Amino acid sequence: MEMTHELKFDSPSFGERVKGMLGVDFYRLFHTPLFYIFLVIAAIIPAMILGTSNTDASLYTNTWQMICAQTPLYVVGSMGDYANMNMVFMFGGIMVSIFIGNDYRSGYVKQLFTTHAKKQDYMISKTIVGAFSMACMCITYLLGTVGAGLLVGTSMQVNVGSLVLAVLSKMVMSLGWASLYTFLNIIFRRHFGISIASSFFFGTGILIIGAAAILGNTSVLNIFLYGSSVYACLSATVLTLLVCLAISALWTAIYILLGTRILSKSDVY
Amino acid sequence: MPATMEGGKSVNAIEIKNLSKSFRGLYAVDHLTMTVPVGAIYGFIGENGSGKSTTEKLICGHLAPDGGEIKLFGKDYRDAGVRVRVGALIENTGCFPGSSVWDNLKMQAINLGLEHANEEIQRVLQIVRMEDSAKIKFKSCSLGMKQRIGIAMALLGEPALLILDEPINGLDTDGMRIMREILVDITQKYHCTVLISSHILGELEKIATHYGILCQGKMIQEITAKEMDSRARVFVSIKTKDMAGAAHILKAKFNQVKEVGEYLQVLDVEDTESIVEYLLANGHVVNEIKKNKIGLEEYYVDLMSKKEGK
Repeated sequence: MEMTHELKFDSPSFGERVKGMLGVDFYRLFHTPLFYIFLVIAAIIPAMILGTSNTDASLYTNTWQMICAQTPLYVVGSMGDYANMNMVFMFGGIMVSIFIGNDYRSGYVKQLFTTHAKKQDYMISKTIVGAFSMACMCITYLLGTVGAGLLVGTSMQVNVGSLVLAVLSKMVMSLGWASLYTFLNIIFRRHFGISIASSFFFGTGILIIGAAAILGNTSVLNIFLYGSSVYACLSATVLTLLVCLAISALWTAIYILLGTRILSKSDVY
Repeated sequence: MPATMEGGKSVNAIEIKNLSKSFRGLYAVDHLTMTVPVGAIYGFIGENGSGKSTTEKLICGHLAPDGGEIKLFGKDYRDAGVRVRVGALIENTGCFPGSSVWDNLKMQAINLGLEHANEEIQRVLQIVRMEDSAKIKFKSCSLGMKQRIGIAMALLGEPALLILDEPINGLDTDGMRIMREILVDITQKYHCTVLISSHILGELEKIATHYGILCQGKMIQEITAKEMDSRARVFVSIKTKDMAGAAHILKAKFNQVKEVGEYLQVLDVEDTESIVEYLLANGHVVNEIKKNKIGLEEYYVDLMSKKEGK
């Protein structure tokens, strides 16, 4: 009698698939220097800015201005209004671009898409890992700010509750920013340099700053990622955190849907 | 060994119908239809730009097809259950150069959700004869090692289908031998179907059980190794002192006689004795004589010549 071999194909659930992809991304994150380099960069930036700006007394009178402004300032008047924790999203964009770019440059993306047919898994995983990285960068940025403030001796006076809510809100915004950068990297996946440049460009918030110059200091701008990131300021309340959560989640959903659609309808590389 | 799906239904590993893919209006794959039985080592043959790699990328889901149907083990090729059991080595291994061999394999094992990742990595490293190289950084590996790591990556999670694009290109003789042994091992021990494209037809001939011959994105012939063997033309190679004279004499009796290198080839003849007797009778002493069969390379060249009407 002829022997036969029975083939079994058990479909992994959505959770199992995403867990697998997240596992790879976090393994890579923790086993390569990229993440640690950007954590250090995030810590050094506030120290450098605060350390070098102490000659101009009008720029930073309070250490926590390095985290965010006292009130939402969409219209930027000086460097002091602009250079704060939102810069993490600028540098985070570069990190996410390099991280995703390495998938494509090494060809690893082929291994992923050979075994994972679902493109949304990729979008979700990269967004979560990018958000985690930027949230960690927010923490090292905070530590860098505290260290620099103590060294330079700028005022430490602050409403602690609002400060915590502002930092938490910015960390929540990391999710939305990460989804934007993942989306940009999907669009420009064949052009590594353009991916990085576009992430940096959007991360600067220049479009919203430009819009604010025309529209004025209006809270309508909070519907955008940069707007909400500015909204998370030293007068933050629980409402600020909720607004940031809602805007971040909304843009994350939009960018994941768009990115998934583009990946599904076009060639992977 | 024949394979069945759950429920006893018999299926093919790959079934493609009318598959098309164009780039800027030019068809790279043109309404292609092909079938790869379960357990086969399917040699995918064709010149550069014939659509082999594009077809493989379409099967792997790397490219979006313009039209057509791809089924893997009777299911849509995008089915997650089927896809986790597909391994591929296309163009490059997809490894991170700065990471070690082990880390690269570990990442793929995590991606596949393998429960006993470390044991599984040991297993595949053993299959590709690289158990002592796990700690080496990928960028420090030789080409042959990199190709074997690529195979190891593809083998993680016991794939039911392995898709390999030119895995023996650039390998030395020893590398080719090792790769050949690995591929035969995989199909025999692990019941894995292999789709392999290669330009090195002599090597492919040693392992393939089926062939698909592509030309300009179209399948021009699918044939089993057995069928090809039975269809292959036989010939006798002869060496004499006076090659020109012997050729003249032989052409008077046999339909096809040609000079190939330092031999005279008499096609579609198996009886060496009658040739020797005939040449002796006409005053030519035979120094060397051997019976041969046209191989895959000659078969392919012959088929392409016929197609081009030469």
